[in-house]
Amino acid sequence: MQSQIKQTLNAIILTEDLGKAVVTSEGTLHILSSIDLIINPGESIAIIGESGSGKSTLISLLAGLDTPSSGSIKLKGKSLTEMNEDGRAALRNELIGFVFQSFQLLQGLTALENVMLPLELRGDKNAKAVATALLNRVGLGQRLSHTPKQLSGGEQQRVALARAFATKPAILFADEPTGNLDSKTGETIINLLFELNRENQTTLILVTHDPILAARCQRTIRIDAGRIV
Amino acid sequence: MSRFNLALRLLWRDSRSGELTILILALIIAVTSSTAIALFSDRLQRTMVNQAAEFLAADLVIDCSTSIAADWLTKATQFGLLQAQTVEFPSVLIEHDELLLSAIKAVSEHYPLRGLLKATRTEDYMSETTLHAGPERGSAWVEKRILSALKLKIGDSLIVGEKPLTISHVLTYEPDKKANFYSFSPRVMINEADLAATHSIQPGSHAHYFFQFSGEPQAILDFKQWLKPQLNPSQHLLDIHEDRPELGAALLRAERYLGLSSILVILISGVAIAMATRRYTERHFNATALLRCLGCQQQEILWLYSSQFVVLGALASALGCVLGWFAQEVLFQLLKDLLPQQLVSPSFGAVLFGFTIGIVVLLAFAMPPLLRLKQVSPLRVLRRDLEPLPASAWLVYSLSIGVIGLLIWRYTADIKMTTTILGVGLSVLLMLWLLTYGLLKLLRKWLPSMNLTWRFALQSLLRNTSTTISQILAFGLTLAAMTLSFTVRTDLIDNWQQQLPDNAPNHFALNIFPEQQAAYQSDLQQHAIKGSQFYPVVRGRLVEINHLPVQQFVSKDSQGENATHRELSLTWTKELPEENKIVAGTWWSHEQAANFVSIEKKLAESLKIKLGDLLSFTIGSQPVNATVSSIRELRWDTMKPNFYMIFSPGTLDAYPSVYITSFYLPDTQKDLLNSLVKKYPSTTILEVDLILKQVKTLLMQLTQAINYLLYFALMAGFTVLFAAVYATLDNRIYEGALMRTFGANRSFLRTTQWLEFGMLGFISGVFAVIVSEATTFFLYTHWMAMDYHFSLWIVITIPLIGALFVGAAGFLGVRQVLNKPPLRVLREL
Ligand SMILES: Nc1ncnc2c1ncn2[C@@H]1O[C@H](COP(=O)(O)OP(=O)(O)O)[C@@H](O)[C@H]1O
Ligand SMILES: [Mg+2]
Repeated sequence: MQSQIKQTLNAIILTEDLGKAVVTSEGTLHILSSIDLIINPGESIAIIGESGSGKSTLISLLAGLDTPSSGSIKLKGKSLTEMNEDGRAALRNELIGFVFQSFQLLQGLTALENVMLPLELRGDKNAKAVATALLNRVGLGQRLSHTPKQLSGGEQQRVALARAFATKPAILFADEPTGNLDSKTGETIINLLFELNRENQTTLILVTHDPILAARCQRTIRIDAGRIV
Repeated sequence: MSRFNLALRLLWRDSRSGELTILILALIIAVTSSTAIALFSDRLQRTMVNQAAEFLAADLVIDCSTSIAADWLTKATQFGLLQAQTVEFPSVLIEHDELLLSAIKAVSEHYPLRGLLKATRTEDYMSETTLHAGPERGSAWVEKRILSALKLKIGDSLIVGEKPLTISHVLTYEPDKKANFYSFSPRVMINEADLAATHSIQPGSHAHYFFQFSGEPQAILDFKQWLKPQLNPSQHLLDIHEDRPELGAALLRAERYLGLSSILVILISGVAIAMATRRYTERHFNATALLRCLGCQQQEILWLYSSQFVVLGALASALGCVLGWFAQEVLFQLLKDLLPQQLVSPSFGAVLFGFTIGIVVLLAFAMPPLLRLKQVSPLRVLRRDLEPLPASAWLVYSLSIGVIGLLIWRYTADIKMTTTILGVGLSVLLMLWLLTYGLLKLLRKWLPSMNLTWRFALQSLLRNTSTTISQILAFGLTLAAMTLSFTVRTDLIDNWQQQLPDNAPNHFALNIFPEQQAAYQSDLQQHAIKGSQFYPVVRGRLVEINHLPVQQFVSKDSQGENATHRELSLTWTKELPEENKIVAGTWWSHEQAANFVSIEKKLAESLKIKLGDLLSFTIGSQPVNATVSSIRELRWDTMKPNFYMIFSPGTLDAYPSVYITSFYLPDTQKDLLNSLVKKYPSTTILEVDLILKQVKTLLMQLTQAINYLLYFALMAGFTVLFAAVYATLDNRIYEGALMRTFGANRSFLRTTQWLEFGMLGFISGVFAVIVSEATTFFLYTHWMAMDYHFSLWIVITIPLIGALFVGAAGFLGVRQVLNKPPLRVLREL
């Protein structure tokens, strides 16, 4: 009991009875129900489950990209569910990094500018130096001024990784980051992800289909039809 | 067939999912506005031409001094034309020992073919009624002045020539009353059947025959063409454009304004369609890649989408036609009180025009972006970022230029003019493209030194230079079209108001002898009547230019030919008359010697006369020489005495002269005319007040119509502007959502959006000012015969309006997305 309370106080992500339902033409669709999660700082968690089981929905709720229909979420003790959109935006900028399956780089910006983006949004004066260093770190030091169109998928995802770590986030969400890449490139990206994660002591929430990849995480959460099993 | 079904099904799905909303909207706006304007201007134009035809009382008139060949009338009947005749001649009336020169007009059955007569049966003007036919046999209608001058009243007998007639009406309005020399004397209108009995028309007597025709425009045109080669020099064809230059010019300008507005609205809509299609295309890359993956060939893709567009175009155009018809009907309802009573019914042709325009504009503006779909690589299924080449600029511009060129040609019917306009337009566009490109480059340089908000807003613009430039071109063109519509309309109305200020002179007094001049002037002053200067007039003919016969210089049908085939009114004055402007040379100073002449600019151009040329005139049989010392510009359409030739004082002293002046006499002081005529029996008074009233009414109606048309164009412009901004939002919404996942807050995004779209609008506004000012200048100097004025006001406001509206449209478009959770935004794209 005592340890559980302590754990709860320490938790970086804490959800209680989290649920998400959407109203469709065929009635209410319960995408997620009764999700209770306690995730500690520095933990790495794999979320696995079939396609359509609700994984993306779960992490988008955890990251405050979407609002739950029921239940509550606390990030670092702050209640996400009680914040308005701008509050959540500020919290995202402070705490969270993202890596998406489809990279989501801004097409018109160069690699460097893409990585600088979250830093500039928080008014970081050193944005350029930090971003350059990170791009060097992911092996793209020579490609700073290239736009996404001039980069391969793997390279784009590396830019996305650099962008995700630029703000030194406490939590990194990665939604099938290798889904659009071939297995070899995927592996490089994953290695890089884990390295950066270790260096930055980031809490990692990784969505994946891949059991081998899941095994590299400290804990695995399996979702089926919107519930943790 | 199954492919067509697939096309229909895809179209249905797309329209259900809202994919097509903006495109359909843009198309409906385009067709609605072009149909409404086509219908409205066609109908208005025909109504106005009809209205103007009233001034001739017919669509076409042959004016001659004898009767015309009977087979001409037969031919007219064959063309299906209605006919009437009037005969006008001067006659002296004697009643109660009073003598009065009057203008008799005998009118046939069917007169007036166009317009109405107005008359009263009592002597006050209150009980005025409108009538469709002239006097019956045995009766005469007279102007009020006849009654007072001859001491007559209604019901009395009046002897015209040898025929006694009964005065049944006081004539108050006659549609075809002209400002020629017949109208100085008051009118007596009689029935043609009584003409013979007056015995007034003898061989050689001074009569004018007017053979009047009315009918379908095409029939009139055919008849005119048939007739023209057969006319002898003493027979003249009158139609509204040729016979009444002051109205003809107003009408022509109004017609051109209507045409211009149509082109502009179509251009505006075209821009919106192009932008909406571009969006549509970009949203269909994925679906197309999949279809390609599933084995669709490029041609099939093209066919699939273009058949959807044709169906879409037909439906939206049909709807647009209906809406346009209603809009036009509403417009006419609003204008009901201002417009002539008898409105022409809307023409099916104009509806068809609207429909065709819809399809043509859709295809011309939608095709280039649509063609990109053909190039979508099936590999895109795996690599989402693979985009087809942008639409070929060559194709985009040549198609839209083709359509616009066609429209300009339709309204100007002048190939040279069309190519010049297009050429100028293209060079301006190219220049602006370069300018914008340079500006963006410059901004990129400044970027690092700006604060975050500005930098982000600008970065958005700079991220995709070619998109930004095409957006600036599109918004700029739309704004330019709106500005143009506004400026031209404002100047047109100003021009008309200047032409006829409220107390423009409405009477001319001619033939005032020099010894009467001072007395006449003081009589006018005594009654507080404002008049122009008194000008001495000597009649003379221009015979030589630099000792060469003037015939060598004239080209056929030119102003020069006109002016050299008759005697000119020559005058002299110390001061340059009001509203005359020296464009070359100098006006004489007081001590300058005699024998200088100042010539009107258009005539000088027509006869190629330059400063310093020696002009020889004959006055009576005497020769007079004068050197051209200045060239003047003047307005012929003001109701003031105007002269081709003004001599330096002293030059014409040796020749007998009479004076001429013009003055404004309000209705209430009309009685004064009789006393003036009595006191100075040798003088002639030309009453142009009725004509002026007609002209004013017409101009007022045109003004109102044009105002409404402007509001309509502006409304279409703003709607389209909004739609067009919306069509460009996808990428920004996506970027906004992505930025929010990184923690950008809404007020930051809101500010950057405002700034970004505001800047876009501002640059477009600057662009619009350049385009519209250049176009206005060109239009005025080459097409509408108006003076160009630079307007600082426009230069300042248009960029601000652009910033405000594009900014607001962009902001509103993105606002709703700002309040949605960012995830949903990312999912929906
Ligand atoms: N806004 C929405 N409206 C309707 N259904 C949704 C919505 N968002 C997600 N879903 C549905 O919820 C389920 C879970 O989606 P998602 O979280 O993306 O699954 P996963 O990432 O595990 O593949 C899917 O069946 C999806 O279609
Ligand atoms: Mg998913």
